[in-house]
Amino acid sequence: MSNADSTQSVLNRVTDRDVLRRIGLYAVMYGLAIVFFVPYWRMFQLSVTPMSVLSQGGFHWIPPELTFAVWQRYLLQEPIIYQWAFNTFLVASITTAIVLVVDSMIAFSITRLDWPGQGIILAVIMASFMIPGYVNIIPLYTLINDLGLMNSYWAIILPFAAGPLGVFLLVQFFRDIPEELEEAARLDGFSSLRIYARIILPLSTPILTALGLFVFIWSWNQFLWPLIVLNDDALYTLPIGVVTLRDVNALAPNVIMTSLALASLPLFIVFLLFQDKLISSVQMQAGTG
Amino acid sequence: MSNVETTGTRSPSRWERLFDRSTRELLVGMLFAAPYLVLFSVFLLYPLLKGLYMSLHEWNFLEPSKSTFVGLENYTRLLEDPAFWNALWNTLEFVGLTVPLIVGISLVLALGLNKELVGSRVLQFVYFSPYVLTVSVVGIVWAQMFAQGGVGTQYLGWLFEGSPLNSKFWAMPAIVVTTVWWQAGFYFAVLLAARQNVPARLYEAARLDGAGPWRMFRDVTLPHMKNALLFVVIASTIFQFQVFGQPYLMTKGGPVGSTETLVYYLYELGFQTRELGFGAAVGYTLLLILVGVSMLNYVLVGTNDE
Repeated sequence: MSNADSTQSVLNRVTDRDVLRRIGLYAVMYGLAIVFFVPYWRMFQLSVTPMSVLSQGGFHWIPPELTFAVWQRYLLQEPIIYQWAFNTFLVASITTAIVLVVDSMIAFSITRLDWPGQGIILAVIMASFMIPGYVNIIPLYTLINDLGLMNSYWAIILPFAAGPLGVFLLVQFFRDIPEELEEAARLDGFSSLRIYARIILPLSTPILTALGLFVFIWSWNQFLWPLIVLNDDALYTLPIGVVTLRDVNALAPNVIMTSLALASLPLFIVFLLFQDKLISSVQMQAGTG
Repeated sequence: MSNVETTGTRSPSRWERLFDRSTRELLVGMLFAAPYLVLFSVFLLYPLLKGLYMSLHEWNFLEPSKSTFVGLENYTRLLEDPAFWNALWNTLEFVGLTVPLIVGISLVLALGLNKELVGSRVLQFVYFSPYVLTVSVVGIVWAQMFAQGGVGTQYLGWLFEGSPLNSKFWAMPAIVVTTVWWQAGFYFAVLLAARQNVPARLYEAARLDGAGPWRMFRDVTLPHMKNALLFVVIASTIFQFQVFGQPYLMTKGGPVGSTETLVYYLYELGFQTRELGFGAAVGYTLLLILVGVSMLNYVLVGTNDE
């Protein structure tokens, strides 16, 4: 009896401690989530607070009055945000398409074909991996200027597409595709182009999706470089556009916050749709680090 | 290919008769490699070399032919320029505060979410989502939060008397907080995967040995996450070293230059005062610093794999 009692009390202690631990865990994780959520709440909350409340000053978590006037204005009356969103979409999609095609082609050439000098070329590309994009901006600026590409989307797309990350990822992935598949295809008389298009690319869908998603997001979000090479409102991308809206509406936080929320929506939707894909893509990148 | 010919399923094409196999592979190989190599040479290698060349000149933007060779003068001027040292110091302060916070917070998030929690997908969404925002959204929202009457001054106003963004001391920490919120989610995802890859049987074994949570963390979790943690430290260091958007949007490098970072300084030289030769020298110096960080990475990871 006493034996059973003590077992029981040990069990109780263990479960008590476990319960406490779980409560602590939930408190920390949800507490942090609330902290992480505050900027989103402020963005939304200020965007629906009428100017009459804002101009009184004072701090609110929940505005005493609501208005969707600014949302209406940007969604229905002023097309500028749509224009910028379209521009950004154009830049990001073209960049992504170029990166996927061009990077997979060279990765195919280096890993599946055999020609002299490919080792050196790969080494040079890998070494350039250490060079962070921003350190090159001044010479790149003079180059873009000489090529007459200022104020054009190619000025944003081409330097981005020259980055080595995609080649790096794809070379690693293509290397692990078994040779046998390709040899069988060669015996059947497949040309290199068909092997690339019919065998290697379909087998690489996961890594291509991962790369594509990230290139799209990064190029969508570029800030410094478009700020330098674009100087025409109509050509602006969203990240640059919202800054000019802020400068114009410095005294109207509701206008600023609405434009920020609208500017964030497209990628938020992408993230909602591809949450798992995106998270696992992060891990693929890190796997190569 | 000879196989194909002997089995007679296909006769050699003109292309195959014209070149032997290795020449064909070279031609096809170059054809596949060419598009990227053109982009790479024109938009990455060439600017890199041109940057070195420019940094040795007093560069004339409008008429480059009128640029004069000055040797290492731009570099010696750089070393004597207090604005450079200020920017370097600010960048180091920023990186030194941001990286440990990112590593710590993303590790806590990853270890916490590794347990089965109700609502873990929602939590994951909340932690990771700031990463998909552009820096201008992040910078402007947080500038508002730290402005007079924002959340920051409402609750922490006693610390900085007015907005932290107007304080020489607090402006940088405010930018650090902003950056941690923006970036931690990415590294959280990296660390979560690393944690999930630690074999569960190791924890079973440790439990049988009577190890408590702390010992399991120290002897099982940490050693198995070492590579991922190293990746997080190096990748975030290199990325944060290039901080630009947050100070540009939140403080314009102020007050009194206290948040002017290296890339910000580079931006001003290149695109406001147009000292392109000198700016290129700053770019090259930044490059050397970051290559140094990367080399350190290779050294650390290299010894680690053995």
